[in-house]
Amino acid sequence: MTVVSQDTELAIDARGLSKEFRSVLAVDDISLEIPRGRVFGLIGPDGAGKSTLIRMLCTVLEPTSGDAFVFGNSVVSNPHEVKPRIGYMSQAFSLYGDLTVAENLNFFAELRGVPKSEMAARSARLLEFSGLTEFAERQAQFLSGGMKQKLALAATLISEPDLLFLDEPTTGVDPVSRREFWRIISDLHRHGITVFVATPYMDEADRCDEIAFMTQGRIILRDTPAGMRRRVPGRVIEVAVDRYREAMTLVRTLPFIRSVEVSGELLRMLIDQDACEEDCEAALRSTLEGAGFSVGNIHPAATDLEMAFATLIPAAGELLDTSDDEILAVAE
Amino acid sequence: MRRILAIARKEFIHIMRDKRMLGVILIMPLLQLFLYAYALSFDIKHLPTAALDLDHTEQSRQYISALQQSNYFTVNRVLNNYGQVDGIFESNQDQVVVVVGSGFGRDTTAGRAGAVQVLVDGSDANSAQLGQTYSGALSRVYGAKIAIAQYEAKGASVSNVGALTGNTRVWYNPEGKSASYFVPGLIVVLVTMVTVLQTANTLVKEKEMGTYEQLIVSPIKRIELMVGKIAPWALIGAVEILVISLIGIIIFGIPFRGSALLLAVASLLYVTCTLALGLIISARATSVEAANQLGSLVSFLPTFMLSGYIFPLSSLPWVLQFLSYLYPARYFMVVTRTVFLKGGGLSVLWPQLAALAGFAVLMTTFAAFLYRERA
Repeated sequence: MTVVSQDTELAIDARGLSKEFRSVLAVDDISLEIPRGRVFGLIGPDGAGKSTLIRMLCTVLEPTSGDAFVFGNSVVSNPHEVKPRIGYMSQAFSLYGDLTVAENLNFFAELRGVPKSEMAARSARLLEFSGLTEFAERQAQFLSGGMKQKLALAATLISEPDLLFLDEPTTGVDPVSRREFWRIISDLHRHGITVFVATPYMDEADRCDEIAFMTQGRIILRDTPAGMRRRVPGRVIEVAVDRYREAMTLVRTLPFIRSVEVSGELLRMLIDQDACEEDCEAALRSTLEGAGFSVGNIHPAATDLEMAFATLIPAAGELLDTSDDEILAVAE
Repeated sequence: MRRILAIARKEFIHIMRDKRMLGVILIMPLLQLFLYAYALSFDIKHLPTAALDLDHTEQSRQYISALQQSNYFTVNRVLNNYGQVDGIFESNQDQVVVVVGSGFGRDTTAGRAGAVQVLVDGSDANSAQLGQTYSGALSRVYGAKIAIAQYEAKGASVSNVGALTGNTRVWYNPEGKSASYFVPGLIVVLVTMVTVLQTANTLVKEKEMGTYEQLIVSPIKRIELMVGKIAPWALIGAVEILVISLIGIIIFGIPFRGSALLLAVASLLYVTCTLALGLIISARATSVEAANQLGSLVSFLPTFMLSGYIFPLSSLPWVLQFLSYLYPARYFMVVTRTVFLKGGGLSVLWPQLAALAGFAVLMTTFAAFLYRERA
């Protein structure tokens, strides 16, 4: 039986998707529609079920209940129509360490049926694209973490998929490589590829068209990054203060401070205007100086996502800090 | 087809780049071959022997010197009476005493079988048995010679000469050479070990490395994955059989009397069984370690014990005999020994081939079932 979803303008159309591992509900009744051409970010604490959701969407895991349609094809009843159109980059490095960069690319090209006539050109372009041309003959196990991830992405892209699943693609990768990685993603996006990315980094989430926050197997919030920020009540200021860590403890106790975090050498805080009697900035300065801190500039700042989630999801800040053991998902 | 080739090519690269694996599949079999054929040789030469000549004729002295010249026996001393035999054995001076009975010269001259008694120190059972076999064979040869001389002198045709005594004869391997017996068996054992173990590893390794998910996400069909994975090992298994056979024939001088084609077909069927077994293990094992242990358990022990490689199957307890029928090594062992030593063809080996074919079908089906596409 082949179930075809009606709306093929959707890259992903999940309906009541659930996955249970030994009576633990890793993904709990998720319905999700993602139009083509989006860069969709999935954020949430470890163990929220992000990887499980992705693995179901890319046909690695079979859902316990529910179904998802990728370009109109069911991942449950018609996975063979789904597979040729997607690329999946898992959290762990999933290429062959004893094969060279070029051999890995060739293998995945052959496996995914890239036309022989195009193989050389695509390989060369992807190597160039990922800056791996000079390492083509190196065995993958001897690449740096960042290069490994870029190779994994290149191997995923060799079949030119329409939809790319990336599961924490830049975890453990240095900042420079991360930026480069996202430059590649942006390029792909411009070429109309739909990207579904799970990430623990808020700055990466910020680059997405749309983000969803997932916790305990459910998506509890979904919006554009700007929309997320707009939802935050109050405004954000940054304060230059010496001994900022000690200062943070004091600031936290103030009634008009919703949240506070360290940003570089500054304290960034979200203030609730209504809770101040008059000038919040002045009240803050006098409190800090009264406690013996020397306070510099206080200026308004943009809301960042981390702060947004810390405020919007009461337990999220706490959740983001806990590193619950990821539910061990065994492939099949 | 292209995907199968891609997998197979990748597997070859894995094998070529893994020095330890190369050692296991290239060096280990050769090492075992030489170890079994040389160091663990059950052949006996220069067995310390005493002779007791009760006949004192020219013929009896000829017989004893024939013993000496055979290389199997070293006649250290000639005794005078039976009373000395116990002393020889008790002091471990000699392991065999050959007694030439009185009337030996008369009987052989008259064309009858001469009476020779062989006393063997049974405390070393292996040597004892072989000592018996050798001296028996030697007596026959010697007896035949005398008889032939006799008959020719009478103008009779040599082909009319019948057996002189009702002794057992060891056919196909009259010298009882270990290599002839072991090399065909070793083919079975080594091929089993290499193919079962490596295939058992192959998919588990991918699962541990995380590459298995990439394979699942690709459009490859499970059957293509299976074929691509085992094809290189089928080839390696075939090469291994060929190399061991050639070494056995060229270096150890074992005979090859049967049909190479028959052996090739049987090998193909058997390797199919072992590869399927490996895949079955790979499907069930949760780690490389578990796969190795399970692989060893089902490949080493049964091929050693239940194939007739070391112990004759007829001497096993009935439970084990019954089990041996459920293990394809048993049938392949018969095929290799028959093809090498006896030259038997399809007319005698068809039951074994049929059994191997049956197992091959059964086991691949089961493996395919374990790796079936999810609905």
